[in-house]
Amino acid sequence: MTTTDTTPTVDGMDAPTTPDVVRMQSDRNARLRGGMAAQGVDALVLLATGNVTYATGATWPLADAGRANVERPVAVVVAGDDQAHLFTPFRDAGASPAERGIGLDDDHLHGPVYLDFDEGVEAFAEVLAGLLPANAVVAVDDVTAAMHRSRSLLFAEWPPRAAGDVMGPARLVKTPDELAVMRHGLWIAEQAMADVQLHLEPGMHQTDLTARFLHRAFELGADANILDPIWQVMPDRRGDLPWTVNGDIACPLLTTERELAAGDVLWVDTSMLYGGFHTDFGRTWIVGGEPSARQQAQYEQWRAINDAALAVLRAGATGAELTAAARSVTNVETPWMAHFYLAHGMGLDSAEAPFIGSDLGDAFDASLVLEAGTIVVLEPVVWDEGHSGYRSENVYVVTDDGSRDLTDYPYDPYGN
Amino acid sequence: MPTDLLPDERALRYGRRERALAAMADADLDVLVLGRPANVRYVAGAPLLWNAGPRGFSPSGVLVRVTGEVHLLSTWDEGVPEEITHDHLYGLTWDPMNLVAALQRINESAAPQRVGTDALSPLFAKLLPLAFPGAEVVDGEPALRAARRTKTAEEITAISGAIGIAETALAAAIAELRPGITERELTGVFMDSMASHGITTPATQDIARITSRPRSGRDERVQTGDLVVFDAGVVAGGYTGEVGRTWVAGTRGHGAAARELFRRCHDLSARLVDACTVGASADALFGAYASAGEAVPAIPVARGMGLGLDDPLVVRDLPATAAATTLEAGAVLAVTASVTDPAVGTITGQDVVVVTAAGPELLTNSPWWDE
Repeated sequence: MTTTDTTPTVDGMDAPTTPDVVRMQSDRNARLRGGMAAQGVDALVLLATGNVTYATGATWPLADAGRANVERPVAVVVAGDDQAHLFTPFRDAGASPAERGIGLDDDHLHGPVYLDFDEGVEAFAEVLAGLLPANAVVAVDDVTAAMHRSRSLLFAEWPPRAAGDVMGPARLVKTPDELAVMRHGLWIAEQAMADVQLHLEPGMHQTDLTARFLHRAFELGADANILDPIWQVMPDRRGDLPWTVNGDIACPLLTTERELAAGDVLWVDTSMLYGGFHTDFGRTWIVGGEPSARQQAQYEQWRAINDAALAVLRAGATGAELTAAARSVTNVETPWMAHFYLAHGMGLDSAEAPFIGSDLGDAFDASLVLEAGTIVVLEPVVWDEGHSGYRSENVYVVTDDGSRDLTDYPYDPYGN
Repeated sequence: MPTDLLPDERALRYGRRERALAAMADADLDVLVLGRPANVRYVAGAPLLWNAGPRGFSPSGVLVRVTGEVHLLSTWDEGVPEEITHDHLYGLTWDPMNLVAALQRINESAAPQRVGTDALSPLFAKLLPLAFPGAEVVDGEPALRAARRTKTAEEITAISGAIGIAETALAAAIAELRPGITERELTGVFMDSMASHGITTPATQDIARITSRPRSGRDERVQTGDLVVFDAGVVAGGYTGEVGRTWVAGTRGHGAAARELFRRCHDLSARLVDACTVGASADALFGAYASAGEAVPAIPVARGMGLGLDDPLVVRDLPATAAATTLEAGAVLAVTASVTDPAVGTITGQDVVVVTAAGPELLTNSPWWDE
């Protein structure tokens, strides 16, 4: 585990450099039970990866959606029980401790359930009936077609309650131990990206960058790749990008075997999995060259926007304060992509609540009040029509007295 | 892999869409609202940004039976086939009501009676009736499964291409197998080779596992004589290609017991391939285990290959499903032979087979370990 400069404090507690995962899971369990009580939910049936990890502590190397949708761990949380039940294909003697969850007794560790099949849903419904009191209020995050068909077996009411009402608030604020895990994941991603940037030169293909990144990330301890890595070559003009529904720049575009040329402006974006948490990395690189004065000015403006948003980022700030601060630097233009946001949260998903500056609108941003322990990934964009643009992302944790930067990566070749 | 991002070939996408429309007609569905990435790719033919893991439901593609038209969630038109015009694209949004509005516009032109979905969420169980007020929202997934179960010739070519990359990357990982390397590092070698060959999206990310002794996790270092199971797969052009092999690390430490276990795995593997005949029940794959005298493992013994994972999934926990499944010509199956000797470990081999009228046709061609 590697330490960085400043230790974040959340609710007055220092984030440890080495996480205590048993304490982390126990904190999660307490939050979930509190949320269930507040929402009047007797049981959670969880299929989404981040939710299963939150409830059980289990993490596993994610497969492509094809296999992952069908052979996936499922969690059941029952009110009054301080452990969740984990139904998982990774239970055998060969399973890693991480795949068996944190602090789950054997009677809470079950074999796999196959909720894409009628036979699987029927078997699961039978087990569920044994775990829950009659007429339990059940909340769920996702409903397979087979669950939809057999809904009367699983749910007393249709549509069922949304598990997000409990999971969302619980997952929003990170505990100090969760932050410690996240920091190590970010460190792995940054080390791998540093290796890619070191070797970046004209004549390489976009896919070569992916090859080096994935190889290095796994060597350093990554559990899985989350996003097909983006190395988008940005043209000078918006019109040289594909058409978009909103008239904004088309980004992110998929990686191909395109050969990189000297002077290409690359917008890079990667995400990998460590300890259940997703990372986010965004920088602008120039292939085999240094920025022109004009490009340097784009970066300076980006810094000014980022700094303005950062200046108001603190517990108690609203999303609208951040968007106003970012806009104040550019006066008219909205300095982020119209189909995304100025900022997003991050945790057991790459982009999760809070979303700030999205198409949920200004009123939503004004109603959103940030809490200490919330992750905010700022991703302003400077587009300089005719001269391409600059984009980077930094991960911050909102703290009692402002925020701490969890990203520790230079802005080469634009600045440090 | 081209340097421009292109839609799937015309023959591929029209062939698939035709099957989907026929399946909709059979199921009396007017509109299909799709959330699973593979289903969206199947009907739209557009490459979409890859993310690992399962995907929760959100309306990402819509197929209208009466017109055969596709509406697609995509903010830009790169990689979108020409027949999906700009007015049929709707952009990324964080407000579900914007998705409802996009669906309402489809409702106005299509006026469906029956709308099928491939999955749901509590939120969309509430919102879809708002988008399609005159329609019944029903389960549309069996229609898609039926369409996808057997493959067109173009699809089999695509799956073969994916397998080729998976086999190349598997060979690269096996070449690095030596005492001292970790499971995680072997996965890194696989990913490097896969991407160096132009494919950046894995089907599995748990490439190597030591099965000859208890392991603490993926940082476990390989020791001489360890059995290492490789479960390799890539997604190329949307199609999954998988292959599995088991290797012995180093040159010493295995003996007659390991050789005997490999012999059993070969024998079982041949029986599984032979069981993939037109008209056979998927039960026959369990039968192959029984005839070889091997216990059926907990892991799936067959998975349908295609865009992602297709029917059938043949696994010990779903016996009735297997018994009710008949193998059809054009189905592509990854069959898994897995044998265990508690004193030695587990040896697994996975091969991909096309079910044809002329018998099973093997698409995988990776060598097996041979001392």
